[in-house]
Amino acid sequence: MRNLKSAAFVLSCAVLVGGCEREEPAGAAVAGAPGGQPSVNAHGAATLEFQNRIKAYLEIHHQAEGQVPNLKRTDDPQEISDREALLAKAIQTLRAGATIGEVFAPEYQPYFIKIVQDDFAARPAADRKAIINELPKNMEVDVNTVYPTTIALATFPAGLLRKLPNLPPELEYRLVGRSLILRDVKANLIVDILRDVVPTIPS
Amino acid sequence: MKNDRVMRLAPALVMLAVATAVAAMRADPPQRPTPQMSAVTDTRPPGGTGSVTFLVLGDTGTGDRAQFEVAAQAWKSRQVFPYEFAIMLGDNLYGSERPQDYANKFERPFQPLLDAGVQFHASLGNHDDPNQRYYKPFGMGGQRYYTFKKQDVRFFALDSNYMDRDQQAWLERVLRESNDKWKVAYFHHPLYSSGGRHGSEVDLRETIEPLFIKYGMNVVFAGHEHFYERLKPQKGIHYFTAGGSAKLRSGDIRIGPLTAKGYDSEQSYMVVEIDGDVMRFQALSRRGKVVDSGEITRQAKPAGSS
Repeated sequence: MRNLKSAAFVLSCAVLVGGCEREEPAGAAVAGAPGGQPSVNAHGAATLEFQNRIKAYLEIHHQAEGQVPNLKRTDDPQEISDREALLAKAIQTLRAGATIGEVFAPEYQPYFIKIVQDDFAARPAADRKAIINELPKNMEVDVNTVYPTTIALATFPAGLLRKLPNLPPELEYRLVGRSLILRDVKANLIVDILRDVVPTIPS
Repeated sequence: MKNDRVMRLAPALVMLAVATAVAAMRADPPQRPTPQMSAVTDTRPPGGTGSVTFLVLGDTGTGDRAQFEVAAQAWKSRQVFPYEFAIMLGDNLYGSERPQDYANKFERPFQPLLDAGVQFHASLGNHDDPNQRYYKPFGMGGQRYYTFKKQDVRFFALDSNYMDRDQQAWLERVLRESNDKWKVAYFHHPLYSSGGRHGSEVDLRETIEPLFIKYGMNVVFAGHEHFYERLKPQKGIHYFTAGGSAKLRSGDIRIGPLTAKGYDSEQSYMVVEIDGDVMRFQALSRRGKVVDSGEITRQAKPAGSS
């Protein structure tokens, strides 16, 4: 089942890379045609790079899963929390020294910023304010650390989710303060962070 | 003679009793006292026989006195209205999610229901770790979103925190495949709400309401808002918000064009019966008073929707 989903993810990456046409964000890397090289679609190249990094992370995730017991449905919540902690620890070890931007590829960051900011700009002020008010505030986030279980995961706006690149089931986007984070769902780990993406509410 | 023997054994018996008491205290950490049930419940029995009956709880996971009292009332209701299972509308565990939190915020409050074999089917709220899906008593089958059937009623438990493309595609597929008489969805965030704190989840509504309409959803239950609200039918669909089963946001309902009935002065829960083409519902307060009740007759849906 996992292989099937991963295959579906790879296929969706190919479709995404091949099929997307987007307005170039300001500051985006432009892949021109220096020295007579054939020009490439900058957005497509950036998307491909992002998806390659996702695949690289998934390899680590699956390697870590191979080191810990399988999580099955259980009556014992201790098993759930133990497994979550063991998986997180295994990934943290395999990714020791991980830094910001390892998955949110720098080439793709301007696109993420544009997607999020355009989405917020298109919303009515009340809607924008409601979303921002719900986001966890004053929360320190760092790469390869556990998302604090005492802090609610803010609902991810469904409309925005439709605009972002699809993720495999092991990963999800979340908004924390002004940051967009990638979270490992089963390990409850913060995989990467893109800061200052969410706009502030004008006073 | 007998008295002498008792006297000689007395110190040993006292020590044994003390040691037993100390051991018992160590083995069983102090537990919250089981709340006394209200002497009354206004719950009315189901109208039909062999109908689908269930309990609706939302935003329960506090582990506080209010949760215990609502749970006790829900148990009291069951003596009159023997619901078969319970649906949970998310925020099943607030705050930390250590093993003892599962006990304090779910198992202990609902122990009588669990002991009686009432099956729970939870959905995830914004305070819930998605790994709750592996906890068997939540009845999620290891999935963030899932479906199950009771007689001619199909239930759809959604994860409204994260409505990604995969979930949307799954929802469309299972709705399309369902030829059940009734379709009932439940999830955490209300598509329509008169709440002052949160209000309607317009973004989510734009994403899933078209599917509900296209495939003939009949009824939707949501939580998140810590009160009870029955909304006026929207595009032929009946919406209920029941997120006040432990937390309460008193006075938060802004009565407006959406509201058919609102109750935000006390915690609440619902018992529901689906009997042929009729759904009967009762919303009850923490003290067992009926705060809303009524029945809905299933409407014919567009061709191909059911």
